[in-house]
Amino acid sequence: MHRYIIRRTLQFIPMLFLVTVVVFALAKAAPGDVLSGEMLDPNIPHEVLEERREALGLNDPLPVQYWSWLTSVAQGDFGNSMQYTGRSVMDLIQSRIMNTFYLSLFALGVTLAIAIPIGIYSATRKYSLFDYGATTFAFLGLATPNFFAALLAIWLLSFQFGWFPAQGSTSAIGLTGFELFIDKLRHLVLPGFTLGLASTAMYMRYMRTEILEIKGSDFIRTAQAKGLSNNSVLYKHTLRNALIPIITLLGVEFGLLLSGAVITENVFNYPGLGTLFLNSIQNRDYPVIMAINLILAVSILVGNLLADIFYAVVDPRIRYD
Amino acid sequence: MKMSKFWLLLILSLSFVLVLAACGNDEEASGEEDDTADEADDNDTDDDAGEDGTEEDDAEGDEGEGEAQSGGTLTAGMYSAPGHQFNPLFYSDAYEANILSFTHESLVQLDENLEYEPALAESWEINDDFTTITYTLNEGVQWHDGEPLTAEDVYFTYATIADPEYVAAGGVRTNYVVNLSGYEEYNSGETDTFEGVEVIDDRTVAFHYDEPNIKILFDTSFIIVPAHPFEGMAISDIPDASASRDAGEVVGSGPFVLSEFIEGEQYALTAFADYWGGEPYLDGITWRVIQQSVMPGLLESGELDMIAEPNGVPASDFDRVDGLDNVTTYMTQDFGYQYMGIKHHHRTTDDVEAGAITPDNWVENEKVSDVRVRQALASAINRQGIVDGLLYGMGSVMEAPFPEASWAYDADAVNEYPYDPDRANELLDEAGYVDVTGDGFREDPDGNEWTLNLDYPTGNEVRERTAPIIQEELGAVGIRVDLRQPREAGPHFDMVEADNTDWDLYLAGWSLAVGDPDPAGIWQSTAAYNYTRWNDETSDELIQKAVTPPDAFEVEYRAEVYNEWAAHVSEQVPMVFLYSSDNIYAYNSDLQNVKELPAGIYQDSHLWYLAQ
Repeated sequence: MHRYIIRRTLQFIPMLFLVTVVVFALAKAAPGDVLSGEMLDPNIPHEVLEERREALGLNDPLPVQYWSWLTSVAQGDFGNSMQYTGRSVMDLIQSRIMNTFYLSLFALGVTLAIAIPIGIYSATRKYSLFDYGATTFAFLGLATPNFFAALLAIWLLSFQFGWFPAQGSTSAIGLTGFELFIDKLRHLVLPGFTLGLASTAMYMRYMRTEILEIKGSDFIRTAQAKGLSNNSVLYKHTLRNALIPIITLLGVEFGLLLSGAVITENVFNYPGLGTLFLNSIQNRDYPVIMAINLILAVSILVGNLLADIFYAVVDPRIRYD
Repeated sequence: MKMSKFWLLLILSLSFVLVLAACGNDEEASGEEDDTADEADDNDTDDDAGEDGTEEDDAEGDEGEGEAQSGGTLTAGMYSAPGHQFNPLFYSDAYEANILSFTHESLVQLDENLEYEPALAESWEINDDFTTITYTLNEGVQWHDGEPLTAEDVYFTYATIADPEYVAAGGVRTNYVVNLSGYEEYNSGETDTFEGVEVIDDRTVAFHYDEPNIKILFDTSFIIVPAHPFEGMAISDIPDASASRDAGEVVGSGPFVLSEFIEGEQYALTAFADYWGGEPYLDGITWRVIQQSVMPGLLESGELDMIAEPNGVPASDFDRVDGLDNVTTYMTQDFGYQYMGIKHHHRTTDDVEAGAITPDNWVENEKVSDVRVRQALASAINRQGIVDGLLYGMGSVMEAPFPEASWAYDADAVNEYPYDPDRANELLDEAGYVDVTGDGFREDPDGNEWTLNLDYPTGNEVRERTAPIIQEELGAVGIRVDLRQPREAGPHFDMVEADNTDWDLYLAGWSLAVGDPDPAGIWQSTAAYNYTRWNDETSDELIQKAVTPPDAFEVEYRAEVYNEWAAHVSEQVPMVFLYSSDNIYAYNSDLQNVKELPAGIYQDSHLWYLAQ
């Protein structure tokens, strides 16, 4: 097991290297740079822009730019933002990453809290009205574009009923302790549900199918034949096995949530990595774009590794040697 | 029974959600901005003034009615977060500027005619040949940390911009210093003292120029930054210094202090009690970052009291916002305009690579070289229709690049091109562009195919929508327009600049000359920003004439020359000015004493108060 973890971790290194190459190439393939665009102030001398490009290293040959970026990243330095004068990329990301983390966690909680019970219930009441209803509802959720669901939620739950705040991650400066916690939580509700409901359908269907499949297998029949209660069969035997594919999904999902939050975060003006990411792309702020991409790549890789490790925990048949 | 656990879970989580929702209602009920009774009184006056949809006079009118009351916090909205550079020397975006307009000040500021009036400076004197301006600063001006503001701070501000390290550190405002005496020596590191700015005593500072400087007030209007927080610091460390970045550490001299913020969400300004103009009535102003789509809803619910610069209320939301009883609106011409550029010349690839702007090397674009063709373009486009249809009437058609409020503006000086397809047809016929093949499109005088390429950027929705309209309207007078796929703004403007392409027409925007009307930066043939590559001797001469001493010392003389220049521009049609939209600002009707100026509503914010 330990050897497996170490081997997998070592495999990260070439993977990450490849990711950096792709990320860098993609970022540079897009035309324009941080200084191009609609410069509306003709008072700023044109030569100054050229001087700025030179100072930012934008005029260097691409391999030189890549190398200097890579070497500083290897030393843990993501450089400075090009758009925000004087701000380091780490500082920008630090100011946002926890918000995105909370949002992802909340959304994941929403997804699982809804998908798993409904999935189980649907499976036990196969082809019932509830089953059809839940399936329809779930697919509706999957089919609704994020931004639309978000605007709908804002209009209905914030403007019409006034239950939840529509924008941001806190409502006032200076809150502390429990008040701050509740306030942050309230701001998470709308974006969290918007984000979480979208993937509910997938989990629900997985859950339902897995349970149905496992219910038909021999060991379940044995368990039933032993005279175990229905609940015991369902929770101790069926569910535990049905959760395995869900864990794989979760491993990837966390990374996806981090990136999938881009749209949701923007509609709710939630100051997380997503809003920062979009803004950096629009302004061609390469150091920030590449740093966020790296973080996403790492989180997906780590998510996958964790999923593989948890496999062994929930399913003793799986061994890594 | 077996599902009861799940139901329990579901019910628990639902009730949790409801509890959360309930918490919120309590908080809002205890909020400050509910005073329905007062609003009802104000409504009547607002509605009357609001009918015509332009100026509303209650800011002035209400002054006599009530005593200014202290207290209250204003919540203002902006659509994007500032980039957290709160040092005026290095700030770069309009959202930072928004906050800086409350925390920092300049020596002089623009009045309702876009002329300069005293601000931090109490008075100034310009010598006879416009080479020296001597400012006397107001007495008793303090920085937010209690230090006195002195002439040394003015010197520090300008010396920093002139510093050899300034641009590399991220600054771009060198236009304010390049003409000052001794700039070259200081910028090349030859000397340690910047001769251009002379500290005479604590309250007196002089700016010296080698050549007479017509724009002397504009050139000395940069925001003043304190020297003491940055003492002994390398220029390259200033942008990242705590005094440039952190709430409570940023030191200005304005009526409000940036006291706290939550990154990307809220920026709290609190009143500066020792402000030299008097303690502000408001306790503070809180800026919230919000999505444009929810702005009208927030204004209506009272969660938001003000929406102003940089984008204001979108024209499409104007009716809704103006219809709100608790909101006052104010419209003023935006200092930016949209135009359809005409590529008169193309640069050679060598010149583009070398970054050279050498009119002698330019290659003429013969497709648009006939002035009658360009006049036809202006006549064939229904610009008023664009303003009415896409801007809901909230904008204006222009023929020369001066803001309406400026002394350089004269509506009668220019040739106008009202929508007139017949005239466009006549002009084109006259110029020899006729349809010889019978396909409905004109050929050039030699009978060859004549297609004008039109390129446009994405990003500005209204502008994007004008492109197909232009194609259609030009097509209606027989001009074949090849409307190309739009590009993202960045690449589009890179191509506007590097014009070794087959471009003929393009859409873009520029800012109007506000600080000083001198159009040289965009219109002089050798200017880097002369994107149309218009090379016209008369224009160049007039632009120079308007800033040539000693005649140009008189504003009236300059105005006359600019009228002449505007007439020439409107006759030659180097570009088709499409529209200049209106900025629409909205604020809580309880907010009194707002000065509605062409340059915005932020001036004298220490006098703002909330009627209670």
